[in-house]
Amino acid sequence: MKWLEKYKVQVPILEKESDYPNWAISMTTTLLNHTGTWRIFRPIYLNKIPPCNNECPTNEKIQSYMDLVKQDKLLEAYKLILEDNPFPSITGRVCYHPCETECNRKDYDESIGIHCVERFIGDWGLKKVPFAKPATKRKVSIAIIGSGPAGMASAYYLALNGFNVTIFEKKAKLGGMLRYGIPAYRLPKKVLDNEFKKLITLGVKFRTSSLVGKDITLDNLRKNFDFVIIGHGAHKNRPMVIPNEEASGVFSGLDFLSQINSGKRPKIGKKVAIIGGGNTAIDAARSCLRLGSIPTILYRRTRAEMPAVSDEIDAAEAEGIKIEFLVAPVKITVTKKGKLTGIELIKMKLGRPDASGRRRPVPVEKSNFTLKFDSIISAIGEQVDLSILSADITKTEWGVKADFIGRTNIQNIFAIGDCVTGPKTVVEAFGAGKRTALQIMGNADKIQHKVERPVQYSELNLDYFEHTQKVPPPQMPVAVRKKNFKEVHTGYSNVNAKNESERCFSCGVCNKCDNCFVVCPDLSVLKDTGEYEFDYDYCKGCGVCAHECPRYAITMIEESKAEVE
Amino acid sequence: MRFTVPEKELMFPGHVACPGCGGALAMRFALKALGEKTMVVLPACCWTIIDGPFPMHSLQVPVLHTAFETAAIAAAGVKAGLDIQGKNDITVMAWAGDGGTLDIGIQALSGAAERNDDIIYTCYDNEAYMNTGIQRSSATPKGAWTTTTPEKTPKSEPKKNIMEIMNAHRIPYCATATLAYPEDLINKFKKAQSIRGTKFIHIFAPCPTGWKMAPDLMIKICRLAVETNIFPIYECENGLNYSINIKPKNQIPVVDYLKPQGRFRHLIQKDIEQIQKSVDFEWELLQYRASRDFTKSKNIQSQAKK
Amino acid sequence: MKKVITGNHAVSYGALLARSQVIAAYPITPQTQIVELLSEFCASGKLNAKFIKVESEHSAMTACIAASATGARTFTATSSHGLALMHEMLHWAAAARLPVVLANVNRAMGPGWSVWTDQNDSLSQRDLGWIQLYCESNQEVLDTTIQAFKIAEKVLLPVMVVLDAFVLSHTSEPVDIPEQTLVDKFLPPYDLKTKLDLSAAKSYGALTNPDHYFEIRYKIQKAHDEALHVIKDVDNDFYEHFGRKYGVVEAYRCEDAKVIVVTSGTISGTTRGVIDEMREQGRKVGMLKQKLLRPTPVDELRSILYKAQKIAVIDRNLSFGHSGIFAQEIKSTLYGLAGAPPIYDYVIGLGGRDVTPDDIREIIDNTFKAESPRDTIIWRGVRL
Repeated sequence: MKWLEKYKVQVPILEKESDYPNWAISMTTTLLNHTGTWRIFRPIYLNKIPPCNNECPTNEKIQSYMDLVKQDKLLEAYKLILEDNPFPSITGRVCYHPCETECNRKDYDESIGIHCVERFIGDWGLKKVPFAKPATKRKVSIAIIGSGPAGMASAYYLALNGFNVTIFEKKAKLGGMLRYGIPAYRLPKKVLDNEFKKLITLGVKFRTSSLVGKDITLDNLRKNFDFVIIGHGAHKNRPMVIPNEEASGVFSGLDFLSQINSGKRPKIGKKVAIIGGGNTAIDAARSCLRLGSIPTILYRRTRAEMPAVSDEIDAAEAEGIKIEFLVAPVKITVTKKGKLTGIELIKMKLGRPDASGRRRPVPVEKSNFTLKFDSIISAIGEQVDLSILSADITKTEWGVKADFIGRTNIQNIFAIGDCVTGPKTVVEAFGAGKRTALQIMGNADKIQHKVERPVQYSELNLDYFEHTQKVPPPQMPVAVRKKNFKEVHTGYSNVNAKNESERCFSCGVCNKCDNCFVVCPDLSVLKDTGEYEFDYDYCKGCGVCAHECPRYAITMIEESKAEVE
Repeated sequence: MRFTVPEKELMFPGHVACPGCGGALAMRFALKALGEKTMVVLPACCWTIIDGPFPMHSLQVPVLHTAFETAAIAAAGVKAGLDIQGKNDITVMAWAGDGGTLDIGIQALSGAAERNDDIIYTCYDNEAYMNTGIQRSSATPKGAWTTTTPEKTPKSEPKKNIMEIMNAHRIPYCATATLAYPEDLINKFKKAQSIRGTKFIHIFAPCPTGWKMAPDLMIKICRLAVETNIFPIYECENGLNYSINIKPKNQIPVVDYLKPQGRFRHLIQKDIEQIQKSVDFEWELLQYRASRDFTKSKNIQSQAKK
Repeated sequence: MKKVITGNHAVSYGALLARSQVIAAYPITPQTQIVELLSEFCASGKLNAKFIKVESEHSAMTACIAASATGARTFTATSSHGLALMHEMLHWAAAARLPVVLANVNRAMGPGWSVWTDQNDSLSQRDLGWIQLYCESNQEVLDTTIQAFKIAEKVLLPVMVVLDAFVLSHTSEPVDIPEQTLVDKFLPPYDLKTKLDLSAAKSYGALTNPDHYFEIRYKIQKAHDEALHVIKDVDNDFYEHFGRKYGVVEAYRCEDAKVIVVTSGTISGTTRGVIDEMREQGRKVGMLKQKLLRPTPVDELRSILYKAQKIAVIDRNLSFGHSGIFAQEIKSTLYGLAGAPPIYDYVIGLGGRDVTPDDIREIIDNTFKAESPRDTIIWRGVRL
């Protein structure tokens, strides 16, 4: 409540002799004195976008749920995540967490272990919180091609809002890349199955072993459904285009992982070469290790250029996997009978940057050499299978042409995930799925775009933070984990999650730390309503509150402009 | 880190301190600590104005205005008047600026301290006569510009060490405090309130106007003053037992403190080095004092209690 | 109870009987005995007061002001340089309308150092708003001290009780010391309505802009107007309790006097003897003893002095560059009255030089003889 609402202030009448006290004894308070008129700048509470939220492909409100975890409000935290990402137990495990890369805290000591906290909340929610029921059914039908992350996310939000969703999946089981691409030591199948229960509870219909283009046509779907969402991913292995690529003992990365994830144990022998530097290569290598082989990764550039998630490369190296940098395959060597013996490589050096901004590898002439291997896994990338698409859908070099929201050139046909972007990440697919769902639901206004300038490190007031160490993500010891496919990371405890969330700067977002209230020399920060407000009757605009706000949640604006507003 | 200060306000807004006034915030904190059963004595100082012109008043406790040099004795007089009437539970606090304390008021202050009058004496130190328009006082640091120490001849003498003067009186409690550390400040007032006798609290209270500094830096400059050891936060009991309450985490050079303030703008590298030297010296001296443990000497302790 | 005591001790007894609650004082000759005895009273438990042994007179007055602001009855004593050092706070006490009582032993100001009597110290504080009462005898000193508290508390103005150094301060006389119970009846505890009080949380003495300062000063003058009546009422009341009264002025044998000598302090005693003697010789001479300097008892002065043919004012003080201060007072009081008598200003006895009956006789003789007071100042006893 404002001071003038709390206290009635009257100007004392001083006319007669008897009105006056004997000496200067006060008769009223300085509340009469509206020092707000002095102001040139005024502070306003203005929450800004923290870099974590901004960077998150699903726009999770990270700093908000950190704050909730800090306060032990786990249910609120879980619900808040689900607003943006239905499957935090998945992203909490496999996301490449650009939030942590951008986290302002990294410049202070170490970034917040956001994905670990996310995973903790996700797992807590899966255990403790009943699955959501759909809203009143709407008579709008949606066909989603592919049950991978993009399709899952779309399906979740649409079904939650009463849409009639059917997912067509070519494989026998659901999950696409989540199930067949990502090894169980990173994402246990049980977690995936549990997350899928959310979709089942929401009444999403699944048509597994239904390959669109073969078992059912896209045209058919277009006829029978109001909307079609294409999200069949990028599952085609990119060929190396070198001699003897077809030899037995040469595997494609995705096939190899798919076999393992289906419970098979392909015969790869002792020494295995994995070609490539992406996540598939790392996953394949670490899987080989777990099968008892000795994997070597062969990559044509250097560590700095490896597209795989850095943490994964670290983990692979920690497990003793060797990576040979600056080598490119020339040909698979085979015996006369065609039996694989190894690979001929050529040394590379880095030349000028290419279109991706990474330095292009250039062969070093006459540097060829041969290494012996029992099998070779090619993991140099995946491509989109465009054969299922009808001719009228516009395509790009690598996939379906669709915009940020998933709109293709044809009304009511959307395309999302890897089939649009080429191979990307789970979280990006979730984000795309959510955006398309919002568009179809008529909530396009809720689609968030990245801001150019989230809260910068330099805008924080770091005086209020102690240096602390990140709670390291708990994991199984290398000696144990490299022998099996059990999950490597064991996850934060509640205490870990709380400690870690307490490290959050809450960049740009007020978390009621009370600083502004405490440091105001003019008692012009009010908080008795539970929310902070400035009492502009008295605030002189000194700006101390804004300066001492640790998180840049207060902005000073020119008074003349404020009045216009 | 989160500040925790008592919620109750014993001050009103609408006071006429300059924007970003350290002295105004200091009073707000002090009264939060001392509570309603407090009377304040104000000699001539910025607070004469801040409290508000007649018929207005910005505090929610009684205030007796008094002449410049009289803060300590006026407080002692109020205390005596209350005591003889059986009102023994009221804290009486003198609240004076640096001029009123280190210069014109030091005689009365020394008198009160020698008699160990039961008052809290607070000096809110903005390092010059600010109310009269920024003239040098004995609290103005060496090298500073004021209107009576122009840039060509900035103040050539170091700041008077009022804490040592007060400690020499062997009063029960002396402490420094500043606004970047509200809990420390508030605890010190509470501690002072619990002790009988003369308590002296020296608050470093920036004056953005007089220091030619952006007002929003008010708290920051307090923190820098502490972190550069320009204004160490410590206390001393009975003039003997020193303890440093806030130990700077990093050794920050004084230049970081001097730079945001226009009053030091004219200083050259050599001047700054000299300031650094003397700050280092004083800090070492203080650390030495704090390291002495008089509790081991029963003789000294029993003497001190007398 | 009669007791032979000095003028200083008469002050101490007055402060004791008034039940002073807070005393703050600093030693200065010739006042010191006042606070020495008060210290004894406090130490023996005879007087339940807080005695703050301050480090200066400036602080003594400040302590009294501050304690008085809380509603306590306060007392201090000083002299000469001590009073001068108090000057700033004497202003404060008056303008804060606090009933502080101060005994000032009239002592000359340095340099050169002098501990002997003259009135320049108290008269230098004439314009501050204090009530000033000048005493002739030790009994009057004691009685006036008690009265001073009552006057001060009724009109909320500080009161200065003035006595001459040594001639009174260190001279013993038999004094009737009233019973405490009777004094308590005369002077009950008082309650300052506007005292510092937690329940009111007000500020006292804040910055006062031109919008209001003038009105508040006006009220001080109004209080002095009221004081004129109050002082007389209190004197009468005192008479009823103790059988003694002094008046704001005393007209001694003035009935048909052609020459009236205006005196103050102990010179009144000396003059009184000379008047008696001259009256016996048939000379028509009288004395007006001015006890009250501020507020000016205009009506009393006019009605008594107007009847005389000549007025001789004895000034043991001097406003340098002008004249004796009492003479100025009398002149301004009589100014404008048609046919007002001429005023002869005798400046005498500065720095404690003796003022003898011979001096008074000469003054009276000269006044009778002189046709008109040609000089502003008529110097008596300057050996030049």
